[in-house]
Amino acid sequence: MTPSTASEPFEPKIAGFLCNWCSYAGADKAGASQTPYPPNLHVIRVMCSGRVDPQFLLQAFRLGADGVLVLACHAGDCHYKEGNYRATQRHRMLRRMLAQFGIEEQRCRFDYVSAAEGEKFVRLVTEMVETVRALGPLSLRGFESLPAA
Amino acid sequence: MKVGVYFCNCGSNISERIDAQKIASELSGEIAWMEAVDFACSEEGQESLVRHLAEHRPDRVVVAACSPREHEATFQRVLERAGMNPWLLQMVNIREQVAWVTPDPELATRKAARWIRGASARVRRHEPLETREVEASGNVLIIGAGPAGLKAALLLAEAGRKVVLVEKTPVLGGMPVRYEDLFPNMECGPCMLEPVLGEVMHGPHASNLEILTLAEVTEVTGYYGNFTAKIRQAPRHVDVEKCIGCGECIAPCPASSPNEFNYGLDERKAMSLAFAGALPNAPFLDEAACVRWKGEDCQACLDACPVEDTVLFHCGVKHLKRNAGAIIVAIGSALYSCAEFSALGHRAIPGVYTSLEFERLLASNGPTAGELRAPGGGPPSRVAIIHCVGSLDEKHRPYCSGVCCQYAFKFNHLVRKKLPEAAIVHFYKELCVPGKEEFALYEHARQTAGATFVRYTSLADLRVVTEDDSKAVIYRDAAGAEARISADVIVLCPAVVGPADAAQLGATLDISPDRFGFFEELHSRLDSAQSKMKGIYLAGACQAPMDIQKSINQGLAAAGYVLSGLVEGKRLRIDPITASVDEPRCSGCRTCGAVCPYKAIGFLPDSRRATVNALLCQGCGTCVAACPAGAIQGAHFANAQIYAEMEALLQ
Repeated sequence: MTPSTASEPFEPKIAGFLCNWCSYAGADKAGASQTPYPPNLHVIRVMCSGRVDPQFLLQAFRLGADGVLVLACHAGDCHYKEGNYRATQRHRMLRRMLAQFGIEEQRCRFDYVSAAEGEKFVRLVTEMVETVRALGPLSLRGFESLPAA
Repeated sequence: MKVGVYFCNCGSNISERIDAQKIASELSGEIAWMEAVDFACSEEGQESLVRHLAEHRPDRVVVAACSPREHEATFQRVLERAGMNPWLLQMVNIREQVAWVTPDPELATRKAARWIRGASARVRRHEPLETREVEASGNVLIIGAGPAGLKAALLLAEAGRKVVLVEKTPVLGGMPVRYEDLFPNMECGPCMLEPVLGEVMHGPHASNLEILTLAEVTEVTGYYGNFTAKIRQAPRHVDVEKCIGCGECIAPCPASSPNEFNYGLDERKAMSLAFAGALPNAPFLDEAACVRWKGEDCQACLDACPVEDTVLFHCGVKHLKRNAGAIIVAIGSALYSCAEFSALGHRAIPGVYTSLEFERLLASNGPTAGELRAPGGGPPSRVAIIHCVGSLDEKHRPYCSGVCCQYAFKFNHLVRKKLPEAAIVHFYKELCVPGKEEFALYEHARQTAGATFVRYTSLADLRVVTEDDSKAVIYRDAAGAEARISADVIVLCPAVVGPADAAQLGATLDISPDRFGFFEELHSRLDSAQSKMKGIYLAGACQAPMDIQKSINQGLAAAGYVLSGLVEGKRLRIDPITASVDEPRCSGCRTCGAVCPYKAIGFLPDSRRATVNALLCQGCGTCVAACPAGAIQGAHFANAQIYAEMEALLQ
């Protein structure tokens, strides 16, 4: 939760879980082509989107993220064959749960970015930042006192 | 804990957007130092890092520079050179993901500071990891002695590897030795493979090869580097070493049965050769057909054999056990069942053949000694060849089988040669003849006098009917009207499908067939010669429909994987980024085993706990995320490390 005051406009913090082989490489591609995007995304590199435990996302919200972005390889492209399918399934499940915590669905986005899709990466990050900026800071309504995992 | 941070200016790529000084002072309480380097990855840059590390001996190192995909390995080696464990490093990607994408230096500096703080928090929780090594066998088990398996076997044997070649039938050479001629050059099939077979059986490296015909792999345990295979070998009842191949034993044999090598188009004796010229040049005795196994006291073959102790009645099934570091699967493919197309009359109407049956009818060592006859007995006056039987058909096999057009044009050539007067009709859906040599037979067919081409839209519009003493193919012409062309001999070109044994062998080897029944490759472009199980390779048409050239190339590719992966006298290195089970926390639910794409997780039956085979584990971490008990740790991507990074990044 980023304090939002009149003097300092709200700048959302987005945690991004990127798989090493496709989406992290896609983010590097955006860098190599020097395409600017908002500096609000904070990247946590994992080897595979299949490593992204749904608890990582809950923890991210608890630790101050206003939004979470999980990026995986496209269907059929996973370096580890099927980790992205697991990640997709887990994400669908998690989104249903988030509502119970009062967290808007749009704060938690799952998408696919290939190593060649620098432009798509930039578009997703930009959209995500705009969406969360419009939603405002995350309020956990007391859930922030939950113990860490 | 002393964390040393190195900030690479990358010339000015990073430093013109990110203020290192500012970050250094902001983080001064959290890190031991931050040293700026101009080009950390350059020879001098690396040297200066090695010196600085060796002198100041930090506990952990952060390198803020380019993408870890670019230079993580470089800086891990720098740590090693300075006498540190390479896994005590964390890189921060402040070039591709900060400096290059954040034009405002103020914002870029703030983001970089946050990311370096995240890395510093993470690296404190890094643990030194060791690369382990295990012994591995350089021996290879090859299943299937067709062109792919044979060439792989020969290459490996020439490289000094011990190879066990397991073949289900009594004969070596796979399918091409049954073809009189091969596309695209009308080369003689057996002649092409005979030199290879000669090398395999009697060449200078033959002592490295153990050939087991009539044999099947029944069980495989172990993993890459250390497989143990159980092999069941049925008795041949003829000693291949002693047999001189004279064939004297065959003629007196009183029993016969349909000849499976000619697809039941003729009969063979219980004691027989698969076909004239089959190798190894020794007959086999078929217990199912032999009258001796039906209780009669016949020994006609034994009496006729001029070599003592060569025909052996009293040998049973052999159960063998062989050790191998790798397995190459080269069991070939099959044809789609023509029973799916009852309107085409295969097996119901005489004179309707599959392409494989027709190959044997064309072969001089086949059931008719190569003479083409219409069902009535005389030479056929009209031959119809129906392409795409089941291929390019959503209801059957959506893919193009790739080889049918080429053998159909080969048939065109052979039919014309044998029957100069006969008309030839090609019914086709699409034509496919890629390759630098393959057009020749197609051109030839197009220019053959008396050869016509009829394109059809749907195989469902085609049917074969009997008329008087002949037959006709009914089809729909370009205007959509029903038309007919009479034919005495009709050849169907069915889709190439996965081998009949795919499911069974797949279960034995833990490699799965795909939806078409071919073995699934690790990657369709990059690694089509590897299965999804490490150390089990795929060669030839058991992976996808393919011709001899591609099959052999894939066999050689598989052999290449073995030669580079299992080097004689070298142990296998186990990458330390693997998962491991914290046994006391494991409840034995086996969720991890179900999600592991590499079948790297086993189950200990005594303790009822999961266990990770580090050699097979690729470190994706899917099981770590799946474990409901949190009992699996992913080395270098542990929860504690990721949480620490997140906490610092998001504060």
